[in-house]
Amino acid sequence: MDRSSHLSVILDLCPTQWLLSAQPSNPHPLSFDTFLSHLLVFLNSHIAYKHENSLAIFGALPGKSLLFYSSEEAGDPSTAEVVQPDPNSYRFFKTVDQSLVRRISREFDILGQPDTEEPCALVGALTKAICYINRLLHPAQSLSSPEDSANLPDPRILILSVSPDASNSYIPIMNSIFSAQKLKITIDVCKTFGPDSVFLQQAAYLTGGSYIYLEHREALLQYLVMSFLPTPSIRKIITVPTEDKTDFRAACFCHKHVVDVGYVCSVCLSIFCQPVPVCSTCRTKFPMKTLQRLNMTRASSLTGTGASQPSASRPTNGTPAKQVYTGLAANLR
Amino acid sequence: MPPRRQDDIMDVDSDESDASLDYDEPRRKGKGKAPKKKDKRKSKVTEVPYAWEASYVRSWDTVQEDESGSLQTAVDDLIARGRRKRLFAPSKAIRRTIIRHLIIILDLSNSMMDRDMRPTRFDLSLEYTREFVNEWFDQNPLGQIGIVGMRAGVGERVGEMSGNPPDVLRAISERHKLEPTGDPSLQNAIEMAKSTMSHLPTHSSREILIIFGSLTTCDPGNIHETLESCIRDKIRISVVALAAEMKICRELCDKTGGQFGVAMNEGHFKDLLFELIPPPAQHSTSALTSRLASGAPANAPGSAGGDLMLMGFPTRLPDTSPPSLCVCHSEMRSQGFLCPRCSAKVCDIPTDCDVCGLMIVSSPHLARSYHHLFPVKAYRPVMTMEETANSSPTCHACAAMDTGADGISPLGRYRCTDCSNDFCTECDVFVHDVLHCCPGCER
Amino acid sequence: MPAVEELSAKDVGAHPLLVFLQSQPKRALSRLYQRPSSCLCIFRLLGPLERQIVMNVLWLDASIPASTMSSWVVREGKKQYDQALIELSRIDVLVNSATELTLSATFKASLRQAITGGGSTGSFGVPLSGDSEHPTPTIATLDTYALEKWESILHYMVSSGTGLPSTKPSAGVEFLLERSGLMAKARETSSQITSSGFQFLLHTPHDQLWALLLQYLEMSEERKTDIVEVISFLFMLSTMELGKEYSVDTLTKAQEHMLSDLRDYGLVWQRKATPQRFSPTRLATTLTSSLPPLPTATGTGGAGSDSKGEGFIILETNYRIYAYTDNPLQTAVLNLFVTLKSRFPNLVVGSITRDSVKRALMNGITADQIISYLTTHAHPQMRKNKPLIPVTVQDQIRLWELEKNRVKSDEGYLYTSFASLADYEYVLKHGRELGVILWESAAKRCFFTSVEGHASIRLFIERLGQNQQNNRS
Repeated sequence: MDRSSHLSVILDLCPTQWLLSAQPSNPHPLSFDTFLSHLLVFLNSHIAYKHENSLAIFGALPGKSLLFYSSEEAGDPSTAEVVQPDPNSYRFFKTVDQSLVRRISREFDILGQPDTEEPCALVGALTKAICYINRLLHPAQSLSSPEDSANLPDPRILILSVSPDASNSYIPIMNSIFSAQKLKITIDVCKTFGPDSVFLQQAAYLTGGSYIYLEHREALLQYLVMSFLPTPSIRKIITVPTEDKTDFRAACFCHKHVVDVGYVCSVCLSIFCQPVPVCSTCRTKFPMKTLQRLNMTRASSLTGTGASQPSASRPTNGTPAKQVYTGLAANLR
Repeated sequence: MPPRRQDDIMDVDSDESDASLDYDEPRRKGKGKAPKKKDKRKSKVTEVPYAWEASYVRSWDTVQEDESGSLQTAVDDLIARGRRKRLFAPSKAIRRTIIRHLIIILDLSNSMMDRDMRPTRFDLSLEYTREFVNEWFDQNPLGQIGIVGMRAGVGERVGEMSGNPPDVLRAISERHKLEPTGDPSLQNAIEMAKSTMSHLPTHSSREILIIFGSLTTCDPGNIHETLESCIRDKIRISVVALAAEMKICRELCDKTGGQFGVAMNEGHFKDLLFELIPPPAQHSTSALTSRLASGAPANAPGSAGGDLMLMGFPTRLPDTSPPSLCVCHSEMRSQGFLCPRCSAKVCDIPTDCDVCGLMIVSSPHLARSYHHLFPVKAYRPVMTMEETANSSPTCHACAAMDTGADGISPLGRYRCTDCSNDFCTECDVFVHDVLHCCPGCER
Repeated sequence: MPAVEELSAKDVGAHPLLVFLQSQPKRALSRLYQRPSSCLCIFRLLGPLERQIVMNVLWLDASIPASTMSSWVVREGKKQYDQALIELSRIDVLVNSATELTLSATFKASLRQAITGGGSTGSFGVPLSGDSEHPTPTIATLDTYALEKWESILHYMVSSGTGLPSTKPSAGVEFLLERSGLMAKARETSSQITSSGFQFLLHTPHDQLWALLLQYLEMSEERKTDIVEVISFLFMLSTMELGKEYSVDTLTKAQEHMLSDLRDYGLVWQRKATPQRFSPTRLATTLTSSLPPLPTATGTGGAGSDSKGEGFIILETNYRIYAYTDNPLQTAVLNLFVTLKSRFPNLVVGSITRDSVKRALMNGITADQIISYLTTHAHPQMRKNKPLIPVTVQDQIRLWELEKNRVKSDEGYLYTSFASLADYEYVLKHGRELGVILWESAAKRCFFTSVEGHASIRLFIERLGQNQQNNRS
């Protein structure tokens, strides 16, 4: 029960989005500096929670992702950042704060002013976080201690996201979610700015984590502490908000309609809202017989009640799911 | 059957891992069918003893100490061998059958009570079948499994075709209901399996897996006719035999494009079963028909390729919705999924709607199959120090420092050919086996 | 929900220090909470649920209604949640109020400061950098020092029972051991280990450490030392970094005085007797964590890896025991309940016999303690077995204990010579309802009650007698 837990935090450091976020025209402007100060307090709270709690911080920058900080590295004097000791603060807190702030500013300095900004490497950061946890859970060459699972930390990943979904990251994100499920990692998502992310909603839902869209952005710290600090065992007693309306319906590749009943290519699993003779993704020709049969049923259902009309008859917000499959289509080509 | 020909056939499926050949060859020698090869294979035979040859288990024989008395090299070697298996896997995308239907035929005849595999063949098969089912559903979320037993000369339906792992596991959970008796009948069981799958659409695969412990079969008619009809219906039969090779079993597999293997010991039994888990590569129609020239008349052109399937994406009812009856268990529940066509409420997806027969899936289920279609390219082991000159000292994925040599790369480093980042041994295995996404390329 | 049950079972006992704090006056607590480092450590000693409650309200400026918070609690966890609130208000972290949740102002301010850093309390210790003249001690030095000191204390305790010669620890340590009842003065010169001392030896180092420190706290209370300073100094040590030197300048008189005591226990390392700097050892820095407080105790584990308390004992079903150790302390502890047969440079062979276990039982060690000691120190090779300790051995040790307990003694009172059977049964019935009857015999018309029951039974009989008299008159 009172086990140590590991937290991997993924920071979405997309400069444009943070610029937009800080603009005073927003209902609740949130600048990166404020965000960072809240975040540092949250990270310190995680370390304060238990002496053995470990922490890793990954950053997703435009076009690259990297590890900012890990407890492991901080414990090793050869790689740790040099921290001036201070009688008024706890050393571990100080180390986290300093190394994180230093490295983020270093990265921002390198960034400069490119003409076109690459999308943030969220996938890279996420996969790295999962690989990192995998290494923690399966220490190499551990022949002597086979089932010492009691000493292994409860792993969690917290994604602080500001960018919208990048369309071509659907498959890798889904793959990451499935591996997280396998390793029993909980993925929490805090969307601090921008539109809801369907991919991350699914990530949180499928791994039993919580997805929170930050509405009162000035209360970021309180959100973080109440929802993302408790370990899974505590969440069984004090519940945390979870998303219950995650939509798992799909959108077709051809018109991006959200469909209830779709036509799926058996080879590449592309989805279409009406029978097509050739799969637009993998160029598979479909047999005439099937097309005729499907067209017949479709015609009859259209002339019938109309209740099961496949496309867009349902009042749903089509935007999120759309992006799911634009991404898929792009990747398949 | 001369061994030579078998090799030819095994080569046809491009995704065949060559490790299975390693096992097959000594086995043939064991049968005494290829005496010429005897001395050549000698070393391998001593490596993997048959279960019935080993009077007692000598677990220390499987690993050898090195000069300094350490087992480390032996263990490294084992790991490296596991890796090699994967490195030979194709890195380009291939067509695989994603929607699979499988009937597992369990031998429940007297011969399953033999104790050459511990505790008995029967208990071991049940245990491995359970593991097999779990792993199979993990990798084939859109598939369905049914279970048929062969007992006392008849085929017995043990579990209905279902896409829900707990349902399948429940069917084989009660050991006393499956107590082996009498003789097996391959023909009866295959006919029963065939009739279960007869209604299935052509784009999905129809597969039969037979776990066969007996050396006889007691059939009412000509089993070759059954075989012909299986070929006609494009049912792929695979057999894992626990006793010895039988001509009819070999023929069933060869003519339908399945795999045949005789389990030498417990571990090999499991390997043989688990080789059948990844979705099979789709045969291009021409290759299959030419190979089976002697077999059934040519199939309708193009039908072995892709097809368009009708699928429903259900509405998920949240936990807080008012409870209502479900169509699958007739129980009051608040959670569930509504079939988009007939609005029936089902408990679990993916499934076929019990009312209108529509296939109901959700988008994550489709996504779970994508990694079969787009595998990560194999990484290249870094062999020399020069190559590491201008790369980061740590693993690109988990930030571990150098892990040291393993069986393949002297530096314990593996490089992605696309993004030129280096990864440690642990991450190399993890990325290819679990993650299916390169952290460097982000694809 | 199995996890919840597990939680409640495990969290029944709060940390011993928290129990101690509960007995302290509010003023003292409030002074203790002024130091950020103390708040951080107390926070870490709390149960997981309590920690989350504190965190949830820590950053709120206003108090929140108790109902708002409890609406987040699931029904199954209600009991634990309420229990946690009570625990928190007992040590005055939470302001006691039925309707509102507020942290006590001092605690809130200090914990906030601990987490954000800043302020000028200097409660985390003033570090000094090593110079060429006084190089900072290496972690290895500190570890050997701590181990040596700590084991010498334990060794002293063990050998006092067997009469083997051993180095005597300092007078302070000896006094503390006697105070805590772990040792007792047998003769003028030497003291003898007591039964609680034997039990103490089988505890984990972490428990042992806290047991002694609590004793130390009580002792300083009696000496009229300021208890707040003592506790906060311990907390300060536990937040310090291993392998760093700290200055004594900011310490108070009482704390400087403590240094010499703590040096004897192996918690603090100092170069000279009255230096200007000190270094905490691993014993001190792991006070508020569950990491092993001692470096690998077996002398053989020289691999340099900080393996977490590797076990060394192999126990066979034939009661034979093989202990891979060259550590005299571990050998001595084993000797408490094992008949040792032979000793090799890195191996001790012995067997568990009826005599050896009975000897241990006589010393006050229980069967469960023996079994749990064997379990916690089992060799990794043994951990593959299920159950870990062979059932035969486990059962036999328990049977030996039962054998000893054939006669059970209870203090109490015997009631005899009742006038009539009706009277006897009337009183007996009352006694049964109270649940204080230990033994009864209708033939002899007498029964035996426990000490607690005596007063009420006597009262009952007296009233009965009065009633009868009244009725008669």
